[in-house]
Amino acid sequence: MKISFKWLKQYVDLSESILAEEVAARLKASTVEVEELIDLSKSFENIVVGQVKSIEKHSDADKLNVCSVFDGKENWQVVCGGSNVVKDMKVAFAKIGAKVKWHGEGDLIELSKAKIRGVESFGMICASEEIGLGEKFKSKSEKEILDLSSLDLKVGDNLAKALNLDDAIFDIDNKSLSNRPDLWGHYGIAREVSALFNKKLKEYKTEEIKFSKNGGQKLSAKVEDNNLCPRYMVLEMDNIKVADSPEWLKTKLSAVGLKSINNIVDITNFIMFDLGQPMHAFDKAKIFGTEIFVRKAKDGEKFMALDNNEYELKSSDLVIADNEKVVALAGIMGGQNSEITENTTNIIFESANFGASNIRKTSTRLGLRSDSSARFEKSLDPNMTKIAMQKAIELVMQVCPEAKIVNKLVDEKSFSLNQGPIEISLEFIKAKLGLEIEKKNVINILSNLGFVITEKKDKMFVKIPTWRATKDISIPEDLVEEIARVYGYSKIEATLPTFIINPPEKNKLRDLERKAQQILSKTCGFTESYSYSFVSPQILQKLMLNTENHLELNNPIAKDRPYLRRSILPNLLESLEKNSHEFDEVAMFEIGQVFHVEESGVRMEEKSDELLPRQDTMLSLVYSAKNNKVPFFEVKSALEKVLAECGVDFSWQESEIIENYLHPARLSKVVINDVEIGIVAELHPAVQKNIGIDNRVAVTEISLDKLVDFIQEKNNYQILSQYPDVLRDVALLVDKKITNLELLNTIKAVSDLITEVELFDVFESDKIGKDKKSMAYHITYSSSEKTLETEEVEKVHKQVLEKLQKSFGAEVR
Amino acid sequence: MKDKLSKIKKDFESSLKKIADLDSLEELYNEYFSRKAGEMTNIMKSLKELSGEERKEMGALANTIKTAMEELFENSKKTLENNKWETLLETEKIDITQAKLPVERKGHLHPVTLVQNDLEDFFTSMGFMLLDGPELESEFYNFEAVNIPDDHPARDMQDTFYIKNRDNLVMRTHTSSVQVRAMQKYGAPLRMIVPGKVFRNEATDPRHEHTFHQLEGVVIDKNITFGDMKGVIERMVKHLYGEDTQVKLRPKFYPFVEPGVNGEVTCFLCKGSGCRVCKNTGWLEIFGAGMIHPNVLKAGNIDPKEYQGFAFGFGLTRLVMLKYGIEDIRHLESGNLKFLQQF
Repeated sequence: MKISFKWLKQYVDLSESILAEEVAARLKASTVEVEELIDLSKSFENIVVGQVKSIEKHSDADKLNVCSVFDGKENWQVVCGGSNVVKDMKVAFAKIGAKVKWHGEGDLIELSKAKIRGVESFGMICASEEIGLGEKFKSKSEKEILDLSSLDLKVGDNLAKALNLDDAIFDIDNKSLSNRPDLWGHYGIAREVSALFNKKLKEYKTEEIKFSKNGGQKLSAKVEDNNLCPRYMVLEMDNIKVADSPEWLKTKLSAVGLKSINNIVDITNFIMFDLGQPMHAFDKAKIFGTEIFVRKAKDGEKFMALDNNEYELKSSDLVIADNEKVVALAGIMGGQNSEITENTTNIIFESANFGASNIRKTSTRLGLRSDSSARFEKSLDPNMTKIAMQKAIELVMQVCPEAKIVNKLVDEKSFSLNQGPIEISLEFIKAKLGLEIEKKNVINILSNLGFVITEKKDKMFVKIPTWRATKDISIPEDLVEEIARVYGYSKIEATLPTFIINPPEKNKLRDLERKAQQILSKTCGFTESYSYSFVSPQILQKLMLNTENHLELNNPIAKDRPYLRRSILPNLLESLEKNSHEFDEVAMFEIGQVFHVEESGVRMEEKSDELLPRQDTMLSLVYSAKNNKVPFFEVKSALEKVLAECGVDFSWQESEIIENYLHPARLSKVVINDVEIGIVAELHPAVQKNIGIDNRVAVTEISLDKLVDFIQEKNNYQILSQYPDVLRDVALLVDKKITNLELLNTIKAVSDLITEVELFDVFESDKIGKDKKSMAYHITYSSSEKTLETEEVEKVHKQVLEKLQKSFGAEVR
Repeated sequence: MKDKLSKIKKDFESSLKKIADLDSLEELYNEYFSRKAGEMTNIMKSLKELSGEERKEMGALANTIKTAMEELFENSKKTLENNKWETLLETEKIDITQAKLPVERKGHLHPVTLVQNDLEDFFTSMGFMLLDGPELESEFYNFEAVNIPDDHPARDMQDTFYIKNRDNLVMRTHTSSVQVRAMQKYGAPLRMIVPGKVFRNEATDPRHEHTFHQLEGVVIDKNITFGDMKGVIERMVKHLYGEDTQVKLRPKFYPFVEPGVNGEVTCFLCKGSGCRVCKNTGWLEIFGAGMIHPNVLKAGNIDPKEYQGFAFGFGLTRLVMLKYGIEDIRHLESGNLKFLQQF
C-alpha cells in the first residue's frame, strides 16, 4: 500500500522539520514494514516554471526556434523544437543538471550545455512525457511542449512544488499490515504517526447527511446473514454528472498509484485510501427495482466482474443482487452490468461491512483479489461505513454541486464490538517487559492511539476504540504490545533470566543421532546427505515398491514427489545414482523421519485417542564403488561401528526376501534381543542396473527409535593376565555354505583356554574347488592362572581341528 | 702356527682399514669367523690336531688374537654404524608432501548438522532441553494449539501441505508445533529448543525451498520478561557472530506471541556498514520472537496468570546459507557430493 506524506500531513501536525525519512524509520521500528521511500520531487530537480520571453527562428533549421527563457532570476538561451511555443508561454524549463527522458523514451539523461546546429542551448523546454507527466497532461502531438500558461503558477518555482508534486511516498508491505484493520488508509496511518511523534491528530470531519424532503423512490436492503454482512448502507443520488475528476483528486490518486477513471469512481477510491473503507457506486438505472439483496450466491451462478472476467459462484459466496441479477461480488468487485458510465445520472452508493473470513475464502477460491477484498479480509470497523458515506456525499456535492440525495439512507446493521474495558496496571506492564514505564507515558501512548483510559486507584481501565476492537485488541497483553512498540523496543534493556540450576533431561535419540553422525563421517568416511521427505512414483516403481501404502500429499505445488517416504533409501539411491557418474566411490548416509501409515505414533491431541502415523527416525547408508563386487561388507562394517559404540549385543540373521529390490542372497536382518531393528543388503543387480548405477550397491537402514531402547554403557574391561598368550593360526578348507559364525562358535566352544578367535582371510578359487572356500583364523590361547605349556596348547589346538573336521569336514590347509 | 696367527691378525687389520660400509664389514667378518669356512674358525678347529703343551700354548694365543680381532671388528662396526646415521639425510630422505597411499575416503557432515550441533551445545550448556517432534503433525498442534484458528489468515500465509484423505494431518509448517506438546509433557518452568525440518507448499527456486530447517526456543517461568527474551537472543547471536553483534527488534505479528517481533542482527560480514550479504542495510533479518500468547500457555495446561515466557524461531537454513555464503538453497537437499564434500 502506498501512503503519501503530503496526504498524511493533512491529518497530523508534523512540524516541517520532521522529514519523511524519519517518519519511515519510526514506522518501521514501531508499526509496519516500509519497503521503500520514494521522493517524488527528486525527479523534478532543476526543473522550474519558466516563461518564454522571446522567440527567433533558428538560422540553420526550419523547425527549430531559439528562445529566451526566464527562470525567475535570469534569461537563458534555449533551442526548442516545440510546435506550439509562443511568446509569454509558461513552460516546464529543465535547466542544466536536470534529468529528462528524450521524447519520453529510454533512460533518464542529465542535461548539459549543448550546441544544436551551431547555436548554444542552456537547458530544454519539455514536453509532458519527457518529465513523467504524460498521464497528467496529455499532449495532442509529438512536437507539442507542455503549456502551463492556464495554471496559476509562479515563474521560477520548482515544478514539483508548483504542481503540488513535492511529495514522498511510503511503500508499505501489505503483509506487515495483516493484523491491523485500522491501518488501511491515510487517516489510520496518521493516527499511528501522531502517537509515534506525540503530535496531535486532526479530527476526521464529515457532515451529517442532509436528506432531501421531496422523497422519490424509497430504496430498501435485505441482508440474509448478518454474520456475513454486519452492516449494509446504501443511498441514492440523482442529477449526477459523470466527468473527469478535479486536479487535486487526480493528484492524490496518482500519488498512491491509482488511475483516475471518473469523478464518482475516483471518490470511492479516494475514500478507500483515505479512511480504509471500501465503497462502491452502482448506476441506478441498471438496477431493477428498489430492493437490494445481500444474499448467498446460487451454485453455478455466473457473474461478469469489472475486470472483464466471468466467475462461476458457489452458494458460500456472498453477492449483492437486485430482483433479477447479481450486481456485485460483495466486498470484492462490482459487476459490469451496473457500472458507472459517462451517461449515468443516478447512482447508488454502497458503504458496507462484510465478514472477513468469507471474503477471504471467496477471493482466494476465485483468485480475485482487489484493494477492497484486501481490506475487508482484515475485519474492518463497521462504524466506518457511516463516516465513509458522509464523506462520499460531501465530495459528490463538491464535484457536482447540482446533485441531490434521493430519499433517505438505508442502514441495515447487526453487530456488536467488544470494547472492553481491559484492566491493566503498571505492575503488569513491568512484569511483562522487565521495564518500568511512567504512568503518564502509558496514558499518553494509549490515548494517542485512540484508547480511552479511566483510572481507579492503581488500576487503569482501557476502553478499546472501535477500529481496534474487531479482533486486534482484546487482552492486556495486546495493550502491552501497543505501549512497548510505541515506547520503543530499543529502549528495553536486554537482561538474562535467572534459573534454578537443574540439568536438562537428556534427549537419548538425539544423542544417538549425533554419535552415529560422528562415527559414520569421521571414522567410516561416509558423507551425510539430506533429502526430501517426499518421493516420486518413478523411483518407487524402479524399486518395485507399491505406492498404495504411502501417505500422499493433497495439494503439492511441486507435483513430482507426491508421496511421504516410508524409507530414506529411495531418495538416497537417487542421489547415489547421480553421484556415481562423477565419483568412483560413493558412500553416503542420512538420518531422518519416515512415515508409516499402518502403525501408530503419538497422540493427535492431548485427550484424543486418535494417533498420528508412526514416524521413526531412521539411519540409512548407501555405498557403491568401482571394482567392489561385494560392497555388502563396507556398510555392514560401518553399521557395526555404530552399534558397537551403543554397547548393544546384536546379531546378523539371514532373512527371507523383505523387499523385491534387495538381493535375495545378500541380505541380513539386524537383530537385538529378538527385535529386528533393520537390514543390511545389496540391491538386486537388475534393480541396480534399472536405476542407472554401474556398480553393485549396498544399503542399510535401521530404526534409531528401536535401537535407542537397547543402548547401554558397556564395560568390557578384563583384568590383564600375568601370563603370556599363545597364538595359533589356522586355515581351513570348508564348504562354501558353512558360515563364519558357525566356525567361530564351534572353535570357541572347544575350551575355556581359547579367549579370542578372529577371521583374518577368506579365499575362494577354482583351484581349491568350486564349492569350497578357505577361511583363516587367529586363535588366542591364554590362561589367567599359569603360563601355558606348549604341549597343553597343542593338545587343545588338536581338539579344535578334530572338532572342525568332524562337524564341517574342514581340512586344514 | 704362531706366524700364521699373527699374519691372520695383520691381514685382518689391514683389510679392516679398507672397509667403508657395514656390508663389506660383514663379509670380512664371515671370511674369518664364519662357522664353516672362516680362516680363524679353521685355525681354531686345527688346534685339535696339536698336542699337549703346544696345543695349550697356541690355544691361549689363538684366543687372545681372536678376542682382539673381534674387538677390532666391533669397534669398526660401531664406527661404521655411527657414520651411517650421519648420512641418513641423503640415504633416507622422503617427500613429506606426499599423502598416505592408498588415499583414505573422507566423510563429511551436512552443513545444517554442523550449525545445528553448535547451537544445540550452546543452548544445552545453558540448561535448555533438546526436544523433537513429529514432522507429520496434527492440525491441532500445528495450528489450533498455537492460536491459529481455523479461519485465520495465517493458514493462508503459510501454504501448507495437507494429506490426501486425512483432513486433520499436515506437514508441520514450523517447529512451533512442538511448543504445546512440550508444555503438556513437561509443564512449567520450561526451557527448551527444537531444531527440525519444516515444510511449506511452495515452488522452489534459488531462494525458496518447500523443505527447510528451523530452530525453535521456549523459555517459561514465573518472571520471564521481554527484556529476558532480548538478552537470551543477544547471547545467541553473539555466540554466532561475535561479541560486538547488536540486536534490533521490530513489531511483527505472529498469532502465538504477544507482543511479537522480528529480529535483525548486525551483519556479520560488514559489521553494519552495508554489503552484498545484507543488501546494504547493515542488518540481517534472522529470527522471529515474542512473549508467548496466553492462549498458547493455556493450550499447554500452563496457567498464564502464574507463568509467562517467550518463544523464538530462527531459520536454521538461513543461518547456514549466510554462514557459508551458499547461493542456492536447493543445494542443501540435493544430495550432491560436490556440494556436501565442502563441509
